[in-house]
Amino acid sequence: MAQQTVVAERAALQVEPSWRARLRAITTPAFFIGPALLLILIFFFIPVILTILISLTDMSVATISDINFVGLKNYERIWRSRTTMKILKNTFIYVGFTLTLFNVGMALILSLITTHIPERVGTTFRTFWLLPRITPSVIYAIMWTWFTADAPYGIVNQFLSPFGITPKNWLNAQPWLVVIAANGFVGTSFGMIIFTSAIHAIPVDYLRAALVDGASTLQRIRYVILPMIRWPILFVVTYQTLSLLASFEYILLLTDGGPGFYTTEVWSLYAYHRALSNYFGNVQFGFGAALAAILVIIGVIASVVYLRVFRFSEMVAEPKIEVL
Amino acid sequence: MEVRLERLSKHFGSVVAVDDLTLHIKSGEFVALLGPSGCGKTTTLLMLAGIYRPTGGEIWFGDRLVNDVLPKDRNIGMVFQSYALYPHMTVFENITFPLKLKKVPKEVMREKAQRVADMMQIGHLMDRRPAQLSGGQQQRVALARALVKEPDILLFDEPLSNLDAKLRLTMRGEIKRLQHDLDITSIYVTHDQVEAMTMADRIAVLRDGRLQAFATPDELYNRPRNLFVAGFIGSPPMNFLNARLTAQNGQAIVEGNGFRITLPEDLGRKALSQAQREEVIYGIRPEHIRLDPDGEVEAEIYVIEPLGREDLLDCRLPDGTLLGVLVPSGHGVKIGEKVRLKFQLDHSQLFDPHTEQSLLWN
Amino acid sequence: MAEHAGSRIGQIILGIIVLLLSMPLLVMYIWLVESAFSQITYGIIPQGFTLSNWRFLWEGFTNMPSIWRITWNTLVFAVVVATIEVFIASLTGYALSRMKFPGRRMFLSLTLVLHAFPAVTLLIAIFYVLLVLGLYDTLVGVIMVKAALELPLGVWIMKGFFDNISWDMEMSALIDGCSRLRTWWEILLPNIRPGIAALSIFAFLSGWSEFLLPYIYTSSFENFTLSVLLRRLVGDFRFVDYGLLTATGLYYMMPVLLFFIFTQEYLLNIYAGGTKGTTV
Ligand SMILES: Nc1ncnc2c1ncn2[C@@H]1O[C@H](COP(=O)(O)OP(=O)(O)OP(=O)(O)O)[C@@H](O)[C@H]1O
Ligand SMILES: [Mg+2]
Repeated sequence: MAQQTVVAERAALQVEPSWRARLRAITTPAFFIGPALLLILIFFFIPVILTILISLTDMSVATISDINFVGLKNYERIWRSRTTMKILKNTFIYVGFTLTLFNVGMALILSLITTHIPERVGTTFRTFWLLPRITPSVIYAIMWTWFTADAPYGIVNQFLSPFGITPKNWLNAQPWLVVIAANGFVGTSFGMIIFTSAIHAIPVDYLRAALVDGASTLQRIRYVILPMIRWPILFVVTYQTLSLLASFEYILLLTDGGPGFYTTEVWSLYAYHRALSNYFGNVQFGFGAALAAILVIIGVIASVVYLRVFRFSEMVAEPKIEVL
Repeated sequence: MEVRLERLSKHFGSVVAVDDLTLHIKSGEFVALLGPSGCGKTTTLLMLAGIYRPTGGEIWFGDRLVNDVLPKDRNIGMVFQSYALYPHMTVFENITFPLKLKKVPKEVMREKAQRVADMMQIGHLMDRRPAQLSGGQQQRVALARALVKEPDILLFDEPLSNLDAKLRLTMRGEIKRLQHDLDITSIYVTHDQVEAMTMADRIAVLRDGRLQAFATPDELYNRPRNLFVAGFIGSPPMNFLNARLTAQNGQAIVEGNGFRITLPEDLGRKALSQAQREEVIYGIRPEHIRLDPDGEVEAEIYVIEPLGREDLLDCRLPDGTLLGVLVPSGHGVKIGEKVRLKFQLDHSQLFDPHTEQSLLWN
Repeated sequence: MAEHAGSRIGQIILGIIVLLLSMPLLVMYIWLVESAFSQITYGIIPQGFTLSNWRFLWEGFTNMPSIWRITWNTLVFAVVVATIEVFIASLTGYALSRMKFPGRRMFLSLTLVLHAFPAVTLLIAIFYVLLVLGLYDTLVGVIMVKAALELPLGVWIMKGFFDNISWDMEMSALIDGCSRLRTWWEILLPNIRPGIAALSIFAFLSGWSEFLLPYIYTSSFENFTLSVLLRRLVGDFRFVDYGLLTATGLYYMMPVLLFFIFTQEYLLNIYAGGTKGTTV
């Protein structure tokens, strides 16, 4: 009884905010996030929906004046097409090898080595590995083309000829090797930075303890460092898988899917070719959009999963100022 | 400016930081908010400043309800523990910032800034940046910035706790003097009770978001209304002894393990009329106990803590209870020595062990 | 950590390994520079110093807009993209870091999702958005797309900078008489200047280097950027005039190299900052 009266009395003391305060609570945040919201709406939300919508039509250069809704026909075509298998295989090769050899493998090696040599030298090397990332992709592609060019120009040939290897145009002879390496040398830095900061975050005591226990450097890496950075590794794997799946810029610049017929054509490049590049004369927007839509859906699902797995929302602190 | 908090409360999720706080502060009064860490002092202050929105209750400045008034429209000055100076501005720019926002003309601004700066003795530092100042100087700049706009209310959140002991003493006096001269209603948060006792006209003691007492320092010290206040105010803290209160021949007798005292008549009458049960908690401050061969309590010296002018003796009663006793140094007793203690009985306090309320002052 | 890392010889061996791993990149960049000043290079051995590779600076290219026009386009593109991105990101980053409003958490998650989301997959649909907005084949259109796609990362980085600013200072500013907008502008922004500089450089470089967007969304000569020009040159000059190509490339790369050499610590920071929140 008494309890209830207290509650009732308290409720009576709740002072409702004035309409001005309420208005402010909407307009102030709206002002700050409005522009971003608008851009996100126009260039993320609408395109996601648009991609899916277009993928359900037969829109193409031929049918541009008479667009028909065709349901899942484009997806059926993807499913049936024999090219799809080839593209899928290419995508696996591209993503799988780039990821394991470079984005994770090389990144791990570099971060481990650069944290085990004097700090200044290590930082210098790490910074140097950022250079490809900020180098314009066009220039980067030119450098690789020259690097792998046929004799007498190519640099690879020059280094290999003393070992009795016949000079050749490596981009034509081993296109995958070059495509993977070129992408990999850019992609390495992402994992390298994350792994390095994770290694730096390992409490020195653990490392000391391992040292006191008589662990060799290799043992220490195997039993102390690697287990402690397994989350960052998982993060890099998932994050980079997604980026690689969607990326095609360097392949476009290096081989444009060739040499020959679909040799290095990966899924996203295929979608781009079909929908935007009038390579074959007849641009098939609908079909291309269906190809892209599959990636978009994978992307949406994967990013939502990240949010859950890596618990982003738990890192969000509440602001200390309540008035607006 | 008179300030009234009416049944103010603030919840952060499930945490109740301030609970049903009612406080009426007179115009020109200097009030200290005192309490242990996490008791809701800063939260109360920030509600006054308008930074936090109260969960319930009202805040009145004079006859203006300010719950919805923005901080900038409240005309308050605030000094933070971290000083919160703007690092990218010079001292002059820091001090004049509130005036600039009020669009005060340049010459007036300059003149006012110079006046407060001189008052705070930082007139010669005007061109420096906060990073080039000592902690004490930064504190003065913060104070000057709070004063320059001639606020109706001054808020302080532990402004002295980052200063060294000596400087703290000086600043304590200066702030008190300034407040007195300018006659600005001031609310001063601190967890240092000496600061609160020496500076404030009245002290509001908070605990877990609830108001425990709101009274003058003298009253808090001499007539604490409950056990928490009695134990919190005063250093070294008051001694508490479990005891029984009985009436014998019209006299109030307090009896515990190894001691038996008779309360002075007026205290005894009050206590007997208030007491609900025989068990009581008897309280006596260390400074109100003397070493005296005629004393009523026997004890053994357990530890001696020299405090300079005085020594704090921890005396062990027969039942193991420790009793703090403050005596002038040069008393000559040694650890392990048996002594007799005499209580100044007119400084006795009595509390009900269940309600924790005073039996003398309610 | 380095001091626990075993013997000196071990460290030297590790150093050599990392040097070998970096060799391909080193060699390529060396080649880029020397080739731009050589008549011809065999492998990495240059032959005959010359400046004639740089004649495009005064003669221009045949059948191409003037190099200055193209440079100007690229500069405008990069500067405007960086300005928009930094401006909007600092507004949004502030709100997300320091304001209480309904939907804040959701918006934060959204930023992160978009940060992880492969925006390249949207290129096809964005093409139509631009067509509808009448911005296809305009620099404005490409600029907006680029700014939008970079925004989530920018917002995230900016939020990180704001997170580190003392709350007392902002409270103090509000009490002194600022509105939220004014606090943002007069108190917060000046105190994250290094962060703004870092993000600006990052956004500028990213815009400067952008290839795909201008390549896909513009077609006219007057909208050419350096990346598109170089792509055309590769088509025209493949195996013909690498000297000219590398000189143009080096010219294009100049700001990148300058920033790389002089603002390295910013770069590492921004990359670490952009990924910091997501490493846990
Ligand atoms: N922004 C906030 N979000 C959630 N809880 C808070 C917030 N601010 C304060 N609290 C909680 O409210 C209670 C009171 O905090 P407050 O800062 O007012 O204490 P205080 O009396 O100033 O303590 P101190 O002497 O340590 O400064 C604490 O339990 C604290 O954890
Ligand atoms: Mg506090």
